[in-house]
Amino acid sequence: MGPTPFTTPSLSRRNLLLGGAGAASALFLSGCIGGSPAPSTETSSAAGDINAPLTLQSDLSDELPKKAMESLVAGYSAHKLTMNTVATEQFRAQLSSYLTSQNPPDVITWLAGSVARDYAAKGLLLDVSDMWTGDGACAKFSPALKALSSGDDGKQIFVPTSYYWWSIFYRKSAFEEWGVKAPTTWDDFMAMNDTLKTKGISPLTCGTGSTAWMASGWFDYLDLRINGAQFHRELLAGKHSFDSAEVRKVMDTYATLIPYFDPKGRSYSWQEAATPLINKKAGMYLIGAFMTSAFPKGDLDDVDFFPVPTIDPSIPSAEEAPTDGYFASAKTKNPAGTKDLLAYLAAPAQQQAYIEGAGSSNLPTSPDVDTTKFSPLVQKGIKLLQDTKEITQFFNRDSSDALQTTADTALTRFLDHPDDVATILKTWQAAAQKIWNS
Amino acid sequence: MANVTSDAPPLAADRPDDGPPPRRGLLARRGVTSRVPPVIWVLLLVPLAVELFWVFWPAFNSFQLSFTKWNGVGAAQPVGLKNYRTLFADPVFHTAIKNTVIWAIGFGGLSVLIGLALAVALNRPRRGVGIYRSAIYLPMVFSLAVTGLFWRVLYQPDGPINTVLAAIGVDTGEHQWLADPRTALAAILVAAIWRQAGYIMVLYLAGLKGCDPSLEEAAAVDGATAWQRFRFVVMPQLKNVNTVVFAVTVIDSLRTFDIVWAMTRGGPYDSTQLLSTYMYQVGFSLVNLGYGSAIAVVIFVLAIAFIITYLVRATREED
Amino acid sequence: MAVAPALPRAVDAPAPAPARRRAKHRWVFHAVMGPVAFLWVLPLLFVIVVALRSFDDIATNGLGSLPSSFTLEAFGTAWTGGSIGGALRNSLVVTAATVVLVLFLASLSAFALSRYKIPFGRAILLAMLAGNLLPPQILLIPVSKICEMLGIYDRLFALVAVQVGFGLGFFTFVLYGFMRSLPAEVFEAAKIDGAGELRTYAVMVLPLCRPALAALAALESTWVFNDLLWALTVLRTDTKFPITAALLNLQGGYTTSWNVVAAGSLIAAVPTTIVFFAFQRHFVSGLLVGASK
Repeated sequence: MGPTPFTTPSLSRRNLLLGGAGAASALFLSGCIGGSPAPSTETSSAAGDINAPLTLQSDLSDELPKKAMESLVAGYSAHKLTMNTVATEQFRAQLSSYLTSQNPPDVITWLAGSVARDYAAKGLLLDVSDMWTGDGACAKFSPALKALSSGDDGKQIFVPTSYYWWSIFYRKSAFEEWGVKAPTTWDDFMAMNDTLKTKGISPLTCGTGSTAWMASGWFDYLDLRINGAQFHRELLAGKHSFDSAEVRKVMDTYATLIPYFDPKGRSYSWQEAATPLINKKAGMYLIGAFMTSAFPKGDLDDVDFFPVPTIDPSIPSAEEAPTDGYFASAKTKNPAGTKDLLAYLAAPAQQQAYIEGAGSSNLPTSPDVDTTKFSPLVQKGIKLLQDTKEITQFFNRDSSDALQTTADTALTRFLDHPDDVATILKTWQAAAQKIWNS
Repeated sequence: MANVTSDAPPLAADRPDDGPPPRRGLLARRGVTSRVPPVIWVLLLVPLAVELFWVFWPAFNSFQLSFTKWNGVGAAQPVGLKNYRTLFADPVFHTAIKNTVIWAIGFGGLSVLIGLALAVALNRPRRGVGIYRSAIYLPMVFSLAVTGLFWRVLYQPDGPINTVLAAIGVDTGEHQWLADPRTALAAILVAAIWRQAGYIMVLYLAGLKGCDPSLEEAAAVDGATAWQRFRFVVMPQLKNVNTVVFAVTVIDSLRTFDIVWAMTRGGPYDSTQLLSTYMYQVGFSLVNLGYGSAIAVVIFVLAIAFIITYLVRATREED
Repeated sequence: MAVAPALPRAVDAPAPAPARRRAKHRWVFHAVMGPVAFLWVLPLLFVIVVALRSFDDIATNGLGSLPSSFTLEAFGTAWTGGSIGGALRNSLVVTAATVVLVLFLASLSAFALSRYKIPFGRAILLAMLAGNLLPPQILLIPVSKICEMLGIYDRLFALVAVQVGFGLGFFTFVLYGFMRSLPAEVFEAAKIDGAGELRTYAVMVLPLCRPALAALAALESTWVFNDLLWALTVLRTDTKFPITAALLNLQGGYTTSWNVVAAGSLIAAVPTTIVFFAFQRHFVSGLLVGASK
């Protein structure tokens, strides 16, 4: 049983009321805000209350995913279950409040990666290791997913239910009109960029305006293609410098792409940057499969993708496949019920129902989901990820949101001023170093 | 119920020389009573306690956090003045301070000027005035976040603003207002002023209604120009409303957050970062609450500086 | 007994400018104000146009283009998908409760500060106002912990309590200015009548402050109604969310259905618009903050 990070209500209230004992200490919400962890008297009362109602806190606020979640919730009858939906950004800002509150939501939607691991290290997350063994709901999931869902202590604290792939998306009909084919080598790709540009088409679109993190997509992929997944992970973990020759090489390649980007992308969000692709003013878009949700429904059959071409054949292939799912609060009043709900959400039938309902081209994590009825696009995505040697998540998921901020600043500045690359990388490294040191 | 005058029990806080017959002077003329009956203390202390509890106490806690490193979970580690030292060496903080000053002057100054000008123009009742007033106030009914959202769209490279500019012959070459660090802050400023001007206008309209028109007419008879009448007859009568407008403006400009967040999130590359947005980014997106609290302390100190320089003087003049 | 004496109401005094001058300036006035007012309304017209377009039209042609579709669908989606009905109700409850409580409490402290020589009265007034200058973001976490401690987390009451606490300083400040500008005769009369403090407050001061209270009520309703930050801090259950949080959910993380967001924003703006027009008379003629009789 991990240490409880927050004091019990009674202790806090006592501190509050014992004003006379020590004015300064009573003024401070000790134990509540930044106070030292105190032993809890009701440490997750091991057995819990099997009849306690459950709460599911969800950040899937988009119309279709929300509807899909609502029908999953409606289909769950084992316990009384309420779902609350909060828009992603506010959800993120509130996440630590949720988890540290006295009565946290039982199950929370989240993504696999460093944030989950951080919370696990603080003892805030329910240990769901038993779901990954025997006939548990996650027992048949791939070892890669299991590793991704494990905390630093090797226990599983995450239940992945879907993931998606990143690639270069395009419209088949547009490529036909322009007489080009999906390239297989980097040289073909660059040659095609030239061809499209001479036709007055922006070869690449990328919404780095209000979604500056989109600029990391190309950075990740170029690093994966030039230096490989191993180096990329180490770089994000602080074992290499952003000021190094390897990263400089990535940036030099990135700089050769800049003339091919639709310059208006600097003002766009990722959704708005899809518009030029949809109306055939731009050729290609390196983005996650979620981009299909920005497409008019009638045009979905026209969407296709090709992987970012190999640059250095000696580097093992790698793709980005961010994984989403759920974790649960360690303080749940009903651990058995919580795990039952997690198992329900992770079961093949629910995974399939969610993916079909949400219309977001996600892939199931369960090998038992019948994928034969999925769209050809999704089938192709599954194959891409099966064939690749290495899988990474995305810049922020492989590092941290703090490091993502440094990348956003550095990369958007670089897109505007590619000639300043030396200074930009130096500044980036200094900013990143501050985060690794803290 | 205690009585206003002599038989209320004397309070320790009362000054001994405030004897039962209240001195007739400035205070008495204004109907201010020197002696404070206990029930008045209750009237004052209840609201005060509410504010202390909901504002000052949490603020005090947050200020303590500025001397710690805390990510919202577990124990905060005391780090002394480290957050402040890091802050003063932080280039983004410097940008944010600079932008906040530009913002306070630009947003505060322009919205007050425009609001006052509109109020003067729309003060006299005549045909169409009601429609104009309503039109200018209307943006206030939308939240700042929604305002930001829609202005972001207006500023798109192929959006309505560039379309209109091109139509009237101003070639912007599809200027990217929000993606260009040179224009981004000004672009947000325009949106914020657009919303704020109506609000300031309403405050000044109320103030102008309270002005005595006979004074202005007398000045006109004496041959004062319109500007002189405004400056020397109307403005002095707006003293109280000026104080309120000043308070509102300082509060709103230092707290500006939603509109910037909705439009640029402090980008491109931190060029539109204000102290408030930087604090939010550090504190909530990056969950570095100690550092974020240190920024909040700076915002508060700035606000207090404004208050002290202006409001203390303004309220003192009243006595 | 204590009927408020009829006050000279500067408010109602019209300001008749010489007719000749008015006629001369009329066309200049409309030539300037017409375009200015139009400029102010233009972005709103744009919002309305977006709300009437279809998702596919926006996705294909972009937001800035002229509409090639017309549908009321977005309003339906916003109403049902965003559960805007319930959210509106929550917002109205919170706004009404906050406005009543905050103005009542602020009028108490303003009365005490403006009419009695409270030691350090000015310092107290400025300190209360200074509380309003705190960036609310920094109070978020402590406030949510306090609400938990009091057991009111995730209840609309918590939102009202926070809003009241946070609004008090400014309203005390404004009402203080207003009450000081009330004519001294009122209080002399009360004194002669032998009215107690509470009676003076309830029977004389409050009725005289009605126009200011009405104007401030309208302002505060706009603020509270449009608040998002506090709502997300003290509420967690989405059936308790106010309209702003519901709007945010419409915006989504992956897809942005601009037409739905626009439609939702328009629906959400209806109550504040009504409040404004209902109180417009008071806004303009009532907020006597500048009255120097």
